[in-house]
Amino acid sequence: MMLVLSASCLAWAAPLEEIRQILREKSLKPPAESQLAAMSDENLLQKLREIDNYARYFESDEYHSPMSRRESWVGIGADLVEQDGKFFLAVYHGGAAELAGIADHSRLIEIDGKSVAHVDVESIADSLKGMEGTSVSLFVEQPGGRMSRFQVEREMFSPLDVEPITPGVHQVLRIRRFVGGLTKSALLATLDFLGRESRAATGARSDVLIIDLRDAGGGDLYEAFDVAGLFLPQGAILGTMCRRADDNREIRSTDGEKFTMPMALLVGPDTASAAEVFAGTLQQYGRAKLIGQRTFGKCVTQTDVHLSDGSVLRYTNAEVRLPDGTSCSGVGLQPDRDVRDAELRDLTWLVSEADALL
Amino acid sequence: MKPRTIVIMIFLTGMLAGCAGVDQDPRSGGLLGGISGLSSGSYENRVKEREARLEQLRATQRQLDAETGQLEEQKSAAYAKVAKDQAEVNAMQSEIAQLEKKSKALAAQQGTDQQRVAELDKRVKALKSKMGQQASDLDALEGSGLGDADVDLRRKQLEKQRDALAREYDLLMKMQMELVQ
Repeated sequence: MMLVLSASCLAWAAPLEEIRQILREKSLKPPAESQLAAMSDENLLQKLREIDNYARYFESDEYHSPMSRRESWVGIGADLVEQDGKFFLAVYHGGAAELAGIADHSRLIEIDGKSVAHVDVESIADSLKGMEGTSVSLFVEQPGGRMSRFQVEREMFSPLDVEPITPGVHQVLRIRRFVGGLTKSALLATLDFLGRESRAATGARSDVLIIDLRDAGGGDLYEAFDVAGLFLPQGAILGTMCRRADDNREIRSTDGEKFTMPMALLVGPDTASAAEVFAGTLQQYGRAKLIGQRTFGKCVTQTDVHLSDGSVLRYTNAEVRLPDGTSCSGVGLQPDRDVRDAELRDLTWLVSEADALL
Repeated sequence: MKPRTIVIMIFLTGMLAGCAGVDQDPRSGGLLGGISGLSSGSYENRVKEREARLEQLRATQRQLDAETGQLEEQKSAAYAKVAKDQAEVNAMQSEIAQLEKKSKALAAQQGTDQQRVAELDKRVKALKSKMGQQASDLDALEGSGLGDADVDLRRKQLEKQRDALAREYDLLMKMQMELVQ
């Protein structure tokens, strides 16, 4: 699961009665009245999580809609990932880290000559952040084991909604988040763009598509359904939204542009939520092979409600069933090809496995 | 399932200045979904969807405009570099021709300093090599379409997104009109 760490705080009174009413009437699992009564301004965040692990409360000035695309940022063009006490860089296509030569999912060893061993994650993140034009020296172990030192200059960067990455001759596209109204069109544009590029390039193949979802923590569920619909015939059930009181709604593939090339999806423990539904749907139809590790296991959806004072409540409102009627919650998706931790970070290796599987 | 990975955005961004972090969960509820998600919802939701889509459309157009400006600047810079490089290649060609002429003339004279001839030949050779590299760089620059592939792709994504958002916005307007009637 992906988290953006920052201190939680609540500086002013929340409209508690409004929150209680919404949870009482609309949340997927109605909380006990005693739980609702126990909520106060002081313990709201904690009590919300006790009621619903995915519930959140945002004051009006701190809310950022998950429907928005990422804005331009200044930085090294990578996310810091902690796994079992080790630190890795999830490198963005076209960002400063990639341009400096750092391979995606390289293990971070030193920053400016200082080891990151036994250093807390926030301090490491602070060391990596900085103003535009400043630089940082990074010593990393690249996937495959090669140790290298890089000087990376922090710069302004706008990540692509769909990132093309090309180890070997295959089209590999990375989706990190499904953004409502944007990811599908970005994918279509990218497929069209790369199709023309690959026809112009010697030996490149556009007949196989690999989508990297290893860092895809979710996003807009309907967008994920829409993208899945690009690869399934019109009318195919993409999933079922199950709310309270047997309010079940099937979502079906619409008409429009369709793609038939063989597909592989790269997944892992951080593939969650909308990305899991996307992957699970295509896997169940035999439309895509999954390569990687078991996914996170979250097939419930949240919705955001603007409260009367401008603050926002996020709560779980539905469970998503995959086309065969099962849910991935708590179990995740089992890949068709299971890989080890080191292999999961090695994109070139994963692509060769996808090639063999397709 | 266990959350085993923590990701921290190490960009410097105002988005992270708030108190609580945002996890990347899906949204739902027929509000602000993709086209498939527009099959239900109240009138109030339709208005909210339309407003959100309109804002998204505007934001995409703003980004597209900014990208266009940036692309134009890049192209202008690239054209200026091509012109400068071309001028350098022309100057080198002219210099090579003069040196070769001088070298031949000297070699033909009786009692000429052989070392001077050799130096001139060496200079001609170095210039030819440099010119070859320059011409090659020039070809690469021209062959790239005077643009960067990532910039072209970003522009294509933004254009497609803008068109899709515009279509969705029109659909929402139509649905809203139907609801009003």
